[in-house]
Amino acid sequence: MKQLLPSLASELRDEQAVVVATLVSATGASSKKVGARMYVGASGRLIGGVTIGGCVDARVIEAADALIESGGRKLLAISLDDDEAMEIGLTCGGTVEVLIERARVDDPSDPVLASHERALAQLEAGEVAELPVALGDGRTFVDRMAPPTTLLIVGAGEIATFITRMARDLDMRTVVIDGRDRYATRERFPHADELRVGMPSEIVAGYPANAQTAAILVAHDYKYELPVLRALLRSDVGYLGMLGSKKRGAAVRELLKDEGFTEAELARVRTPIGLDLGGKAPAEVALSILAEVVAVRSGKRV
Amino acid sequence: MTAFRAVVLEHFRRPRNRGPFADANGDAEGANTLCGDRIRVQVLVRDETVVEARFTADACALCIAAASLLTDGVRNRVRSDALRLDHVWLRAALEGDAPAGRERCVTLPLETLHRAIASASGD
Repeated sequence: MKQLLPSLASELRDEQAVVVATLVSATGASSKKVGARMYVGASGRLIGGVTIGGCVDARVIEAADALIESGGRKLLAISLDDDEAMEIGLTCGGTVEVLIERARVDDPSDPVLASHERALAQLEAGEVAELPVALGDGRTFVDRMAPPTTLLIVGAGEIATFITRMARDLDMRTVVIDGRDRYATRERFPHADELRVGMPSEIVAGYPANAQTAAILVAHDYKYELPVLRALLRSDVGYLGMLGSKKRGAAVRELLKDEGFTEAELARVRTPIGLDLGGKAPAEVALSILAEVVAVRSGKRV
Repeated sequence: MTAFRAVVLEHFRRPRNRGPFADANGDAEGANTLCGDRIRVQVLVRDETVVEARFTADACALCIAAASLLTDGVRNRVRSDALRLDHVWLRAALEGDAPAGRERCVTLPLETLHRAIASASGD
Protein backbone atom coordinates (compact mmCIF):
# COMPACT_ATOMS: atom_id res chain seq x y z
CA MET A 1 0.00 0.00 0.00
CA LYS A 2 3.05 2.17 -0.38
CA GLN A 3 1.68 4.36 -3.13
CA LEU A 4 -1.97 4.48 -2.18
CA LEU A 5 -1.69 5.12 1.50
CA PRO A 6 1.46 4.55 3.51
CA SER A 7 1.01 3.81 7.18
CA LEU A 8 1.81 6.88 9.24
CA ALA A 9 2.08 4.74 12.34
CA SER A 10 4.59 2.26 10.95
CA GLU A 11 6.29 3.52 7.80
CA LEU A 12 6.69 7.04 9.22
CA ARG A 13 6.99 6.14 12.90
CA ASP A 14 10.48 7.68 13.16
CA GLU A 15 9.07 11.11 12.47
CA GLN A 16 7.81 13.20 15.35
CA ALA A 17 5.37 14.94 13.06
CA VAL A 18 4.28 14.51 9.48
CA VAL A 19 2.40 16.85 7.20
CA VAL A 20 -0.08 15.11 4.95
CA ALA A 21 -0.70 17.02 1.72
CA THR A 22 -3.76 15.99 -0.29
CA LEU A 23 -4.68 17.18 -3.76
CA VAL A 24 -8.36 18.02 -3.22
CA SER A 25 -9.27 19.80 -6.43
CA ALA A 26 -7.75 20.46 -9.82
CA THR A 27 -8.77 22.38 -12.88
CA GLY A 28 -6.97 22.32 -16.17
CA ALA A 29 -4.34 19.76 -17.03
CA SER A 30 -3.50 18.39 -13.60
CA SER A 31 -0.93 15.64 -13.82
CA LYS A 32 -2.40 13.58 -10.98
CA LYS A 33 -5.87 12.64 -9.89
CA VAL A 34 -7.45 14.31 -6.88
CA GLY A 35 -6.62 12.30 -3.81
CA ALA A 36 -2.90 12.22 -4.64
CA ARG A 37 -0.87 12.61 -1.46
CA MET A 38 2.52 13.68 -0.33
CA TYR A 39 3.97 13.14 3.13
CA VAL A 40 6.51 15.57 4.47
CA GLY A 41 8.32 14.46 7.62
CA ALA A 42 9.82 16.67 10.29
CA SER A 43 13.19 15.20 9.34
CA GLY A 44 12.75 16.44 5.78
CA ARG A 45 11.71 13.05 4.42
CA LEU A 46 9.37 13.07 1.41
CA ILE A 47 7.01 10.30 0.31
CA GLY A 48 4.70 10.59 -2.70
CA GLY A 49 3.73 13.78 -4.46
CA VAL A 50 0.63 15.80 -5.29
CA THR A 51 1.84 16.44 -8.83
CA ILE A 52 4.31 14.65 -11.05
CA GLY A 53 6.98 17.13 -10.03
CA GLY A 54 8.06 20.64 -10.67
CA CYS A 55 7.15 23.76 -8.85
CA VAL A 56 3.85 22.76 -7.23
CA ASP A 57 5.35 20.08 -5.03
CA ALA A 58 8.14 22.50 -4.09
CA ARG A 59 5.62 25.07 -2.91
CA VAL A 60 3.69 22.43 -0.95
CA ILE A 61 6.88 21.25 0.74
CA GLU A 62 7.74 24.80 1.72
CA ALA A 63 4.32 25.31 3.27
CA ALA A 64 4.47 21.89 4.93
CA ASP A 65 7.81 22.67 6.54
CA ALA A 66 6.25 25.75 8.14
CA LEU A 67 3.24 23.71 9.31
CA ILE A 68 5.49 21.15 11.03
CA GLU A 69 6.40 23.92 13.46
CA SER A 70 3.09 25.71 13.80
CA GLY A 71 0.72 22.73 13.59
CA GLY A 72 -2.84 22.85 12.25
CA ARG A 73 -3.98 22.71 8.67
CA LYS A 74 -4.08 24.96 5.63
CA LEU A 75 -5.70 24.93 2.20
CA LEU A 76 -3.30 26.01 -0.53
CA ALA A 77 -4.56 27.27 -3.88
CA ILE A 78 -1.80 27.09 -6.44
CA SER A 79 -1.90 28.33 -10.01
CA LEU A 80 -0.16 26.16 -12.57
CA ASP A 81 0.38 29.18 -14.83
CA ASP A 82 3.66 30.79 -14.03
CA ASP A 83 4.92 33.62 -16.14
CA GLU A 84 8.20 32.08 -17.10
CA ALA A 85 6.65 28.80 -18.22
CA MET A 86 3.94 30.73 -20.05
CA GLU A 87 6.62 32.68 -21.90
CA ILE A 88 8.31 29.57 -23.29
CA GLY A 89 5.08 27.68 -23.88
CA LEU A 90 5.56 24.96 -21.27
CA THR A 91 2.78 25.75 -18.87
CA CYS A 92 0.24 23.14 -17.81
CA GLY A 93 -2.48 25.66 -17.10
CA GLY A 94 -5.08 25.48 -14.37
CA THR A 95 -5.28 25.61 -10.60
CA VAL A 96 -4.91 23.04 -7.88
CA GLU A 97 -5.99 23.05 -4.27
CA VAL A 98 -3.89 21.15 -1.79
CA LEU A 99 -4.87 20.63 1.82
CA ILE A 100 -1.97 20.26 4.22
CA GLU A 101 -2.52 18.89 7.73
CA ARG A 102 -0.06 18.10 10.47
CA ALA A 103 -0.26 14.70 12.15
CA ARG A 104 1.43 13.71 15.40
CA VAL A 105 2.68 10.23 14.62
CA ASP A 106 3.34 9.39 18.27
CA ASP A 107 -0.21 10.29 19.36
CA PRO A 108 -2.78 7.60 18.52
CA SER A 109 -5.61 10.04 19.24
CA ASP A 110 -4.40 12.46 16.57
CA PRO A 111 -7.40 12.74 14.23
CA VAL A 112 -5.33 12.79 11.01
CA LEU A 113 -3.37 9.74 12.09
CA ALA A 114 -6.51 7.89 13.23
CA SER A 115 -8.47 8.46 10.02
CA HIS A 116 -5.45 7.45 7.96
CA GLU A 117 -4.89 4.21 9.80
CA ARG A 118 -8.61 3.38 9.69
CA ALA A 119 -8.67 3.81 5.91
CA LEU A 120 -5.51 1.77 5.56
CA ALA A 121 -7.01 -1.08 7.58
CA GLN A 122 -10.08 -1.06 5.31
CA LEU A 123 -7.92 -1.25 2.18
CA GLU A 124 -5.84 -4.07 3.62
CA ALA A 125 -9.05 -5.94 4.36
CA GLY A 126 -10.00 -5.59 0.68
CA GLU A 127 -12.72 -3.04 1.40
CA VAL A 128 -13.44 0.34 -0.16
CA ALA A 129 -12.02 3.03 2.11
CA GLU A 130 -13.24 6.56 2.58
CA LEU A 131 -10.99 9.27 3.88
CA PRO A 132 -12.91 12.50 4.43
CA VAL A 133 -11.05 15.75 5.01
CA ALA A 134 -12.74 19.02 5.97
CA LEU A 135 -11.32 21.86 3.93
CA GLY A 136 -12.11 24.50 6.53
CA ASP A 137 -14.36 26.55 4.29
CA GLY A 138 -17.49 24.45 4.68
CA ARG A 139 -16.49 21.95 2.02
CA THR A 140 -15.42 18.37 2.73
CA PHE A 141 -13.29 16.36 0.34
CA VAL A 142 -14.00 12.64 0.53
CA ASP A 143 -11.36 10.42 -0.99
CA ARG A 144 -12.97 7.11 -1.90
CA MET A 145 -10.28 4.51 -2.51
CA ALA A 146 -10.82 1.15 -4.14
CA PRO A 147 -8.91 -1.72 -2.57
CA PRO A 148 -5.71 -2.69 -4.32
CA THR A 149 -5.76 -5.01 -7.30
CA THR A 150 -5.20 -8.64 -6.37
CA LEU A 151 -3.27 -10.66 -8.92
CA LEU A 152 -4.14 -14.35 -8.96
CA ILE A 153 -1.07 -15.74 -10.69
CA VAL A 154 -1.55 -19.33 -11.84
CA GLY A 155 1.77 -21.02 -12.54
CA ALA A 156 4.77 -20.48 -10.29
CA GLY A 157 7.34 -20.26 -13.06
CA GLU A 158 9.95 -17.67 -13.80
CA ILE A 159 7.60 -15.05 -15.24
CA ALA A 160 5.59 -15.21 -12.03
CA THR A 161 8.69 -14.46 -9.95
CA PHE A 162 9.19 -11.20 -11.84
CA ILE A 163 5.50 -10.29 -11.64
CA THR A 164 5.54 -10.57 -7.85
CA ARG A 165 8.63 -8.35 -7.63
CA MET A 166 7.24 -5.62 -9.87
CA ALA A 167 3.70 -5.76 -8.49
CA ARG A 168 4.87 -4.63 -5.06
CA ASP A 169 5.75 -1.20 -6.38
CA LEU A 170 2.39 -0.98 -8.11
CA ASP A 171 0.48 -1.56 -4.87
CA MET A 172 -0.88 -4.86 -6.12
CA ARG A 173 -1.39 -7.89 -3.91
CA THR A 174 -0.04 -11.12 -5.36
CA VAL A 175 -1.26 -14.67 -4.84
CA VAL A 176 0.89 -17.32 -6.51
CA ILE A 177 -0.95 -20.55 -7.21
CA ASP A 178 0.41 -23.89 -8.38
CA GLY A 179 -0.10 -27.59 -7.85
CA ARG A 180 3.63 -28.11 -7.41
CA ASP A 181 5.12 -27.41 -4.02
CA ARG A 182 8.63 -27.39 -5.46
CA TYR A 183 7.73 -24.35 -7.52
CA ALA A 184 5.54 -22.28 -5.25
CA THR A 185 8.11 -21.77 -2.51
CA ARG A 186 8.88 -18.76 -0.36
CA GLU A 187 12.48 -18.95 -1.48
CA ARG A 188 11.43 -18.42 -5.09
CA PHE A 189 8.75 -15.87 -4.22
CA PRO A 190 9.97 -13.71 -1.34
CA HIS A 191 7.72 -10.83 -2.46
CA ALA A 192 4.45 -12.71 -2.93
CA ASP A 193 1.69 -11.85 -0.48
CA GLU A 194 0.39 -15.42 -0.57
CA LEU A 195 1.60 -18.76 -1.88
CA ARG A 196 -1.03 -21.44 -2.44
CA VAL A 197 -0.34 -25.04 -3.39
CA GLY A 198 -3.29 -27.18 -4.38
CA MET A 199 -5.79 -27.56 -7.18
CA PRO A 200 -5.53 -24.20 -8.97
CA SER A 201 -9.14 -24.11 -10.19
CA GLU A 202 -10.43 -24.58 -6.64
CA ILE A 203 -8.02 -22.04 -5.21
CA VAL A 204 -8.96 -19.28 -7.68
CA ALA A 205 -12.65 -19.97 -7.09
CA GLY A 206 -12.12 -19.24 -3.41
CA TYR A 207 -11.08 -15.62 -4.00
CA PRO A 208 -13.47 -12.71 -4.50
CA ALA A 209 -13.98 -12.29 -8.24
CA ASN A 210 -14.50 -8.57 -8.75
CA ALA A 211 -13.15 -5.67 -10.76
CA GLN A 212 -10.12 -5.49 -8.47
CA THR A 213 -9.13 -9.07 -9.23
CA ALA A 214 -6.82 -9.88 -12.13
CA ALA A 215 -6.26 -13.50 -13.11
CA ILE A 216 -2.93 -14.11 -14.82
CA LEU A 217 -2.44 -17.57 -16.26
CA VAL A 218 1.25 -18.13 -16.85
CA ALA A 219 1.47 -21.90 -16.31
CA HIS A 220 1.44 -22.43 -20.07
CA ASP A 221 -0.16 -25.82 -19.42
CA TYR A 222 -3.69 -26.74 -20.41
CA LYS A 223 -4.05 -28.88 -17.31
CA TYR A 224 -4.36 -25.67 -15.31
CA GLU A 225 -5.62 -23.30 -17.99
CA LEU A 226 -8.81 -25.20 -18.85
CA PRO A 227 -10.07 -25.77 -15.30
CA VAL A 228 -9.07 -22.28 -14.14
CA LEU A 229 -10.84 -20.69 -17.12
CA ARG A 230 -13.92 -22.82 -16.42
CA ALA A 231 -13.88 -21.40 -12.90
CA LEU A 232 -13.39 -17.77 -13.97
CA LEU A 233 -14.99 -17.19 -17.36
CA ARG A 234 -18.39 -16.51 -15.84
CA SER A 235 -17.01 -14.59 -12.90
CA ASP A 236 -16.61 -10.85 -12.49
CA VAL A 237 -12.80 -10.72 -12.51
CA GLY A 238 -11.59 -7.44 -13.95
CA TYR A 239 -8.81 -8.96 -16.01
CA LEU A 240 -8.26 -12.43 -17.42
CA GLY A 241 -5.14 -13.17 -19.44
CA MET A 242 -3.37 -16.34 -20.54
CA LEU A 243 0.19 -16.84 -21.69
CA GLY A 244 0.42 -18.33 -25.15
CA SER A 245 0.25 -17.62 -28.85
CA LYS A 246 -2.90 -16.61 -30.72
CA LYS A 247 -3.06 -20.13 -32.15
CA ARG A 248 -2.83 -21.75 -28.75
CA GLY A 249 -5.40 -19.32 -27.35
CA ALA A 250 -7.76 -20.19 -30.19
CA ALA A 251 -7.35 -23.91 -29.46
CA VAL A 252 -8.15 -23.42 -25.78
CA ARG A 253 -11.19 -21.29 -26.66
CA GLU A 254 -12.38 -23.98 -29.07
CA LEU A 255 -12.25 -26.65 -26.37
CA LEU A 256 -14.21 -24.43 -24.00
CA LYS A 257 -16.69 -23.46 -26.69
CA ASP A 258 -17.51 -27.15 -27.06
CA GLU A 259 -18.35 -27.16 -23.36
CA GLY A 260 -20.93 -24.43 -23.80
CA PHE A 261 -19.05 -21.21 -23.15
CA THR A 262 -20.21 -18.36 -25.36
CA GLU A 263 -18.09 -16.26 -27.72
CA ALA A 264 -18.59 -13.26 -25.44
CA GLU A 265 -17.37 -15.19 -22.42
CA LEU A 266 -14.37 -16.56 -24.30
CA ALA A 267 -13.51 -13.13 -25.69
CA ARG A 268 -12.63 -12.06 -22.15
CA VAL A 269 -9.46 -14.17 -22.23
CA ARG A 270 -6.55 -12.03 -23.35
CA THR A 271 -4.21 -14.19 -25.41
CA PRO A 272 -1.42 -13.40 -26.07
CA ILE A 273 -1.30 -11.90 -22.60
CA GLY A 274 0.21 -8.45 -22.04
CA LEU A 275 0.89 -5.39 -24.15
CA ASP A 276 3.15 -6.02 -27.11
CA LEU A 277 6.38 -4.42 -25.94
CA GLY A 278 8.50 -6.70 -28.08
CA GLY A 279 10.47 -8.33 -25.26
CA LYS A 280 10.65 -12.09 -24.76
CA ALA A 281 12.71 -12.40 -21.59
CA PRO A 282 10.71 -13.41 -18.48
CA ALA A 283 11.10 -9.99 -16.86
CA GLU A 284 10.03 -8.29 -20.08
CA VAL A 285 6.96 -10.50 -20.36
CA ALA A 286 6.14 -9.77 -16.71
CA LEU A 287 6.38 -6.05 -17.43
CA SER A 288 4.09 -6.32 -20.46
CA ILE A 289 1.50 -8.24 -18.40
CA LEU A 290 1.52 -5.70 -15.59
CA ALA A 291 1.34 -2.87 -18.13
CA GLU A 292 -1.82 -4.41 -19.55
CA VAL A 293 -3.34 -4.89 -16.09
CA VAL A 294 -2.66 -1.22 -15.30
CA ALA A 295 -4.15 -0.13 -18.64
CA VAL A 296 -7.32 -2.18 -18.10
CA ARG A 297 -7.63 -0.96 -14.53
CA SER A 298 -7.33 2.62 -15.79
CA GLY A 299 -10.08 2.09 -18.33
CA LYS A 300 -7.87 2.17 -21.43
CA ARG A 301 -9.00 0.20 -24.47
CA VAL A 302 -6.16 -2.22 -25.10
CA MET B 1 -1.99 -45.74 -31.33
CA THR B 2 -4.98 -44.22 -33.05
CA ALA B 3 -7.42 -46.18 -30.90
CA PHE B 4 -5.50 -45.25 -27.75
CA ARG B 5 -5.63 -41.58 -28.69
CA ALA B 6 -9.32 -41.79 -29.45
CA VAL B 7 -10.35 -43.20 -26.08
CA VAL B 8 -8.12 -40.75 -24.22
CA LEU B 9 -9.44 -37.78 -26.18
CA GLU B 10 -13.03 -38.91 -25.78
CA HIS B 11 -12.73 -39.20 -21.99
CA PHE B 12 -10.69 -36.01 -21.73
CA ARG B 13 -13.20 -33.94 -23.65
CA ARG B 14 -16.26 -35.60 -22.17
CA PRO B 15 -15.13 -36.99 -18.84
CA ARG B 16 -17.58 -39.16 -16.95
CA ASN B 17 -18.18 -38.55 -13.26
CA ARG B 18 -16.37 -35.23 -13.06
CA GLY B 19 -17.23 -32.94 -10.18
CA PRO B 20 -17.78 -33.37 -6.46
CA PHE B 21 -20.76 -34.96 -4.75
CA ALA B 22 -22.01 -34.24 -1.28
CA ASP B 23 -22.82 -37.65 0.20
CA ALA B 24 -19.44 -39.31 -0.36
CA ASN B 25 -18.14 -41.33 2.57
CA GLY B 26 -14.63 -41.79 1.28
CA ASP B 27 -12.17 -39.50 -0.46
CA ALA B 28 -8.52 -39.08 -1.25
CA GLU B 29 -6.29 -36.59 -2.99
CA GLY B 30 -3.24 -37.26 -5.06
CA ALA B 31 -0.63 -35.11 -6.74
CA ASN B 32 2.31 -35.41 -9.03
CA THR B 33 4.39 -32.61 -7.65
CA LEU B 34 6.74 -32.54 -10.62
CA CYS B 35 4.30 -32.15 -13.47
CA GLY B 36 1.53 -30.61 -11.36
CA ASP B 37 -1.31 -33.10 -11.90
CA ARG B 38 -3.77 -32.87 -9.02
CA ILE B 39 -6.77 -35.14 -8.45
CA ARG B 40 -9.38 -35.78 -5.78
CA VAL B 41 -11.53 -38.91 -5.87
CA GLN B 42 -14.71 -39.29 -3.83
CA VAL B 43 -16.64 -42.51 -3.36
CA LEU B 44 -19.82 -43.69 -1.72
CA VAL B 45 -19.52 -47.22 -0.39
CA ARG B 46 -22.67 -48.91 0.92
CA ASP B 47 -22.84 -52.49 2.19
CA GLU B 48 -19.27 -52.96 0.98
CA THR B 49 -20.24 -51.98 -2.56
CA VAL B 50 -19.00 -48.90 -4.39
CA VAL B 51 -22.25 -47.14 -5.24
CA GLU B 52 -20.80 -43.94 -6.63
CA ALA B 53 -17.37 -42.60 -7.58
CA ARG B 54 -16.52 -39.14 -8.87
CA PHE B 55 -13.38 -37.09 -9.35
CA THR B 56 -12.16 -33.52 -9.59
CA ALA B 57 -8.85 -32.83 -11.29
CA ASP B 58 -6.58 -30.17 -12.67
CA ALA B 59 -4.59 -32.63 -14.69
CA CYS B 60 -3.45 -33.75 -18.13
CA ALA B 61 -5.63 -35.55 -20.68
CA LEU B 62 -4.22 -38.97 -19.82
CA CYS B 63 -4.84 -38.54 -16.10
CA ILE B 64 -8.38 -37.26 -16.66
CA ALA B 65 -9.18 -40.06 -19.11
CA ALA B 66 -7.89 -42.66 -16.65
CA ALA B 67 -9.91 -41.12 -13.82
CA SER B 68 -13.01 -41.05 -16.01
CA LEU B 69 -12.66 -44.72 -16.95
CA LEU B 70 -11.81 -45.80 -13.42
CA THR B 71 -14.74 -44.04 -11.77
CA ASP B 72 -17.04 -45.62 -14.35
CA GLY B 73 -15.47 -49.06 -14.00
CA VAL B 74 -15.50 -49.20 -10.24
CA ARG B 75 -19.21 -48.54 -9.81
CA ASN B 76 -21.22 -51.45 -8.36
CA ARG B 77 -18.15 -53.47 -7.55
CA VAL B 78 -17.72 -54.84 -4.07
CA ARG B 79 -14.92 -53.12 -2.23
CA SER B 80 -12.45 -56.01 -2.39
CA ASP B 81 -13.04 -56.35 -6.11
CA ALA B 82 -12.74 -52.60 -6.63
CA LEU B 83 -9.41 -52.57 -4.87
CA ARG B 84 -8.17 -55.17 -7.35
CA LEU B 85 -8.59 -52.81 -10.30
CA ASP B 86 -5.01 -52.39 -11.46
CA HIS B 87 -2.83 -51.16 -14.26
CA VAL B 88 -3.72 -54.22 -16.34
CA TRP B 89 -7.41 -53.28 -16.17
CA LEU B 90 -6.54 -49.69 -16.90
CA ARG B 91 -4.33 -50.63 -19.84
CA ALA B 92 -7.25 -52.49 -21.38
CA ALA B 93 -9.63 -49.61 -20.70
CA LEU B 94 -7.21 -47.12 -22.25
CA GLU B 95 -6.59 -49.53 -25.12
CA GLY B 96 -2.86 -49.33 -24.68
CA ASP B 97 0.02 -48.45 -22.43
CA ALA B 98 0.74 -44.94 -21.32
CA PRO B 99 3.48 -43.39 -23.43
CA ALA B 100 7.00 -43.81 -22.08
CA GLY B 101 7.60 -41.42 -19.20
CA ARG B 102 3.88 -40.83 -18.68
CA GLU B 103 3.10 -43.89 -16.55
CA ARG B 104 2.52 -41.75 -13.47
CA CYS B 105 -0.30 -39.95 -15.30
CA VAL B 106 -2.41 -43.13 -15.13
CA THR B 107 -1.16 -44.61 -11.86
CA LEU B 108 -1.98 -41.38 -9.98
CA PRO B 109 -5.78 -41.67 -10.43
CA LEU B 110 -5.60 -45.44 -9.81
CA GLU B 111 -3.76 -45.04 -6.51
CA THR B 112 -6.00 -42.17 -5.47
CA LEU B 113 -9.12 -44.21 -6.20
CA HIS B 114 -7.79 -47.09 -4.10
CA ARG B 115 -7.10 -44.76 -1.18
CA ALA B 116 -10.56 -43.20 -1.46
CA ILE B 117 -12.22 -46.64 -1.39
CA ALA B 118 -10.05 -47.78 1.49
CA SER B 119 -11.01 -44.66 3.46
CA ALA B 120 -14.77 -45.13 3.02
CA SER B 121 -16.70 -46.09 6.14
CA GLY B 122 -18.91 -48.42 4.11
CA ASP B 123 -21.97 -48.24 6.40
